[in-house]
This record gives sequence, structure tokens and C-alpha cells, in this order.
Amino acid sequence: MDGDRRPLVAAAAIDAGSLPFGSGLLALVRPALARLPAGGVVALISGSAALREDLPRWCRIEHHDYLGCDPADGARDRHLVARGPLGGESGAALDDAMPALGDPRSGFAPRGARVEPGAPAYPFTLLDREHVAPPEIADLYRQAAGASWSVEQDIPWQRIPPLPDALEQAVGQVMGFLAQNELSALYVPARFLPRVHPAYAEVAMFLATQLADEARHVDAFVRRARRAGTLGVATVTTAHSLLTLLEAAVRRRAATLAGTGGVPAPVQDLVLLAAGSTDPAALERGADAFRTLLETMHEARIRRLRSAGFAADQAARLSELHTPNFM
Amino acid sequence: MNPESLLVGAVAYDPKVVTVWEGIRDVLHDDGVAMDFALYSNYERLVHELLAGHVDIAWSTPLAHVRIQKATENRSLSLGMRDSDRDFHAKIVVRKDAGIRALRDLEGRRLAVGSRDSTQARILPLYFLGEAGVDVSRVEIVAFDSDVGKHGDTGRSELDVLRALHEGSVAAGAVGDYVWVIESAAGRIDASQLEVLWTTPGFDHCMFDALPSLDSQRADRFKTALLAMRWDDPRHRRILELEGLKQWMPAREPGYDSLRAALDASNGW
Repeated sequence: MDGDRRPLVAAAAIDAGSLPFGSGLLALVRPALARLPAGGVVALISGSAALREDLPRWCRIEHHDYLGCDPADGARDRHLVARGPLGGESGAALDDAMPALGDPRSGFAPRGARVEPGAPAYPFTLLDREHVAPPEIADLYRQAAGASWSVEQDIPWQRIPPLPDALEQAVGQVMGFLAQNELSALYVPARFLPRVHPAYAEVAMFLATQLADEARHVDAFVRRARRAGTLGVATVTTAHSLLTLLEAAVRRRAATLAGTGGVPAPVQDLVLLAAGSTDPAALERGADAFRTLLETMHEARIRRLRSAGFAADQAARLSELHTPNFM
Repeated sequence: MNPESLLVGAVAYDPKVVTVWEGIRDVLHDDGVAMDFALYSNYERLVHELLAGHVDIAWSTPLAHVRIQKATENRSLSLGMRDSDRDFHAKIVVRKDAGIRALRDLEGRRLAVGSRDSTQARILPLYFLGEAGVDVSRVEIVAFDSDVGKHGDTGRSELDVLRALHEGSVAAGAVGDYVWVIESAAGRIDASQLEVLWTTPGFDHCMFDALPSLDSQRADRFKTALLAMRWDDPRHRRILELEGLKQWMPAREPGYDSLRAALDASNGW
């Protein structure tokens, strides 16, 4: 070993037995070096003679400084390696707090990881904590993850009574329509997920629980429709309506429908289901019940919008934009 | 098209070469050096195009480098190399069950080597074995002539050698130490079956070559821009990773003497 480099104090020592270079040795060496600042020295005790060539070669490729080797105990070598300048700062304190602004170059690095400099920028567009991540998001995620339900176990499928054929047909149509809408409810918020910077991973994870919930809705509605023997017809009106969800927001969806006079919902099937039979008097009651349902949904939407912080008139306006679309 | 633009020729040994050179062009452009590139399918063509003056600079394998120097009577300009081009070695790897204890034991045995134009997996290991006293004519050479014309750039023939060793169809094989260490680090070498018998003396690898007629200021601007590329700069990192280096280095010449001697000895020019 180079005499003027003594005395060198190794910050870490590894006993690698007689592990050859390609048999897991780097699993010991890499982390030991990664824990040190540039220039920090690792001593490696090894009985593998081939290491005298493989280790310096690897060090040159990685720009670590191979300082040489001395005899250690018995026939073994003591290699000294100083950590090179590449690979970024190490030993930075882990910070688990959500940053005010996500760094595009930290990519999918989990929050708190040390990030090597030189990484490419990722195209996340939701980058600022104030607009993306409410402080209670971690708690919301834990609640949502803990409160999931099972289509298989939580719906008493065997207790669903058989219905007259006309009603089963209507159930199938309504369920098919609902499944179509729930599929859009799965796809539309999914588009936000890849925009959220992973520094706010809890937001993306919470969104994932929402997506899993929408997936269960699809599953449940399709299963019920299959029991009815039909998924009904997926209409062009509904197709147009849902496409606008992919392409723009609620306002545009309402505008698209405004000119058509169409309500993209299987209204007649819902009326029939509310009536419970094809008897004309019952159908009249069913039509009343359907109108009541629309009003109830409108009021419920306003309530939810107001509790989310919208002013009364804003909440009413937003809800009315939904009303013609039924869902 | 900028008439001042430097035209760099390289060999398209892999689709990533396009990404590398698009990237280098952009980096140099940011540094005020106008550059474009032309890709060829093999190094013989690239050498020809440089000597004919169709490109200003060639990104050369060691074999292309020494051929350019010979053709220009050593007046060509060497502009720079990768850190990873310095102090290359070749490894003679043997199967542990082959009973090969010394270099002379290779005589009469099957030795896998890479492509005939691979400096590190064929030309120099066979030359150095001869220099070390092995009668190479008595060694049964099993050649993997894949990607001929690419001068071993793809590393495919070296991986073929390692596969033959693992399968046991040969007793020994020659590979570059870069492939050996990278494959070992990736856990793809079975150390219970294979071990290194011998490591050759060192030699150097790729080089940027230019004709002596290249204007020295233009050459200097190119060199300066290359040397300024940094591993921890996001604009440079991807290019450096794809091209297999962490830092560009100034040129140096002694590392090619053994290759010249090997080509002299084998009429390999």
C-alpha cells in the first residue's frame, strides 16, 4: 500500500469471508460505501484472491478510489476503498414532511429517500402541497384503506328474490347503465393519479382507494345485470355524455347534452322498477317516485357540495349541471 | 445546415446510439459547439469515411483507431476517450472442473473467444497468451463471430463466450474485464463454476479520431465541451450512462501499442 497514505482510518469494516466478487459481495460493499461521505474509507477483509483484480476494476468503473490491499489475518487480504465523488450527497437527514413543492427530479423516490443528483425530470403536473395535499390526507387514506368492502361477501347475493321478467329486464338495463357510468368513474379520476407528485403519495394512494371502490361498483352492477340475463343497451347518448368526461369537465358535459334534449339515463326502466309492475296506476306512482328521486339526489348533492365548502348558490348551480345527466 | 458544424461519424451498433448522439449534439449545441453526426453500419466504413474527409471526427474502436493512425502515418489527431476506455484488460476465464491450473494447460483444450474484430475478446487475449508462452496454434479456438464489423461494441460475442462457459461446451474463454465485472456485479456469473485463470496486461479502448487537417480551434472546442460533461448534471447523465462512461478523458497513446504489435504479428491490419 502507498506509504504516505497511512495512517488511514476506515470508517467501516466488512468481513466478507471468502465471497467471490460476483456472489453477493457488492451487497456488503455498496451499502457500506453509500453510508459514507465522499472520501470515507471502507475496509474489506476477504479470502478471495480474485478480488485483488475484480475490486479495483469495479472501483474504477464506479469512480471509487481503490487504496490497495494489505495482508490481514492468515491468508486473507484487507482491501481499502474510499468512496468516490459520484452518486450524490449521502447521510442527509430523512425528512418525512410533505414539501411545499414537489421536485420533478425526485420522480418516484419515496418521500424521505436520498435522491441522487442527475435524475431526469418527471412530468408530474400537480406539484404544490397547498393545492394537492390537505394535511389530513394520510389519515384519510388509512381510513379509506381500512374501510373497504367486498362485493363477494357483503352483498347477500343468494337472498335476491326472483322478479317478473319485465322487471328483470329493467333491472338489467339499469344495472348495465350504472356499470357504464361507474366505469367512467373509474377512468376519469384515474387520470389525476399520474399527475400527482409522489411527494404527496398519500393523495395518489387515497385516489387509489377511490378507484378500487369504483371497481367494486362496476363489479357489483355487472353481476346483478348478469343475473337478470341482460346488460341492456349502451346508448349513443350515454356514450357522448361519458366521452365528454374524459375530454373535459362537468360544465362541458352539461352543454353537450343541453342541445339534445336527451337524458342519458334509462328513465323508463327506473320508472318501471319504481312502479314494481306494468299496471298503469302503478306506473304513474313510479313516475312520481322517479321525480322524487331526482329531487332527492339534487338536494343530497347540494348538501355534499356545501359541506365541501361551496357557497349555497354555487352548490345549487353545480348540482343542476349534473341533474340532466342523472348520474 | 451550418457549414461550421462538426460532423462526427459513429457506428450504429445499437438503437441507443441514436439517443446518445442526439443527446451529445444538443449538449454541445448548448455549449456553443455546432455538431451533427452520421451513423454507419460498421467500422470499416467509418474509417473509410474519415480518411476520405466525409466526416470530421470518428468515434473509433481501438482497432479503428490504430488503423486510422497507420493510414495517416500517425498524423491523425486523438481528441479524447472515456474513463472506461483506460486500463482495459482481458480475462481468461476457466471452468473450475476443467483442471486448468496454468496457461500452458490451455493447449489441447477448447477456448471460446469473441468476434474476430473484438480487441478485448479475441485479438489481444490471443496475442497476450502467445506472449506469455502459450502455443496458441495448439489451443482449440471456438469463435463466436457475432456482430462482425462492430468490433466487439455490442458485447454480444463476450456474452456468448460466458454462456458457452456456463454450459460447459468449452473449458476456457476470453472476455474483456469490463464485461466480466459488470456481469459479475449483476449476479450473472456462477462463481461456483467459473474462475479467472489469468488477466492480460492493460490496454486502452475507444478514441475520437480526426484528420490532421481539422482546424485546431474547432478540435479544441469539441474537446472542451466533451470534458465539461458531468455525471451529476441531468442534461448529461443519461448520455453518459448509455455510452458507458462517467467522465470523458483526454487522449493518451501508449495503451494501443500492444494492439499494433498484435496486428503486426498476425497480419491483422
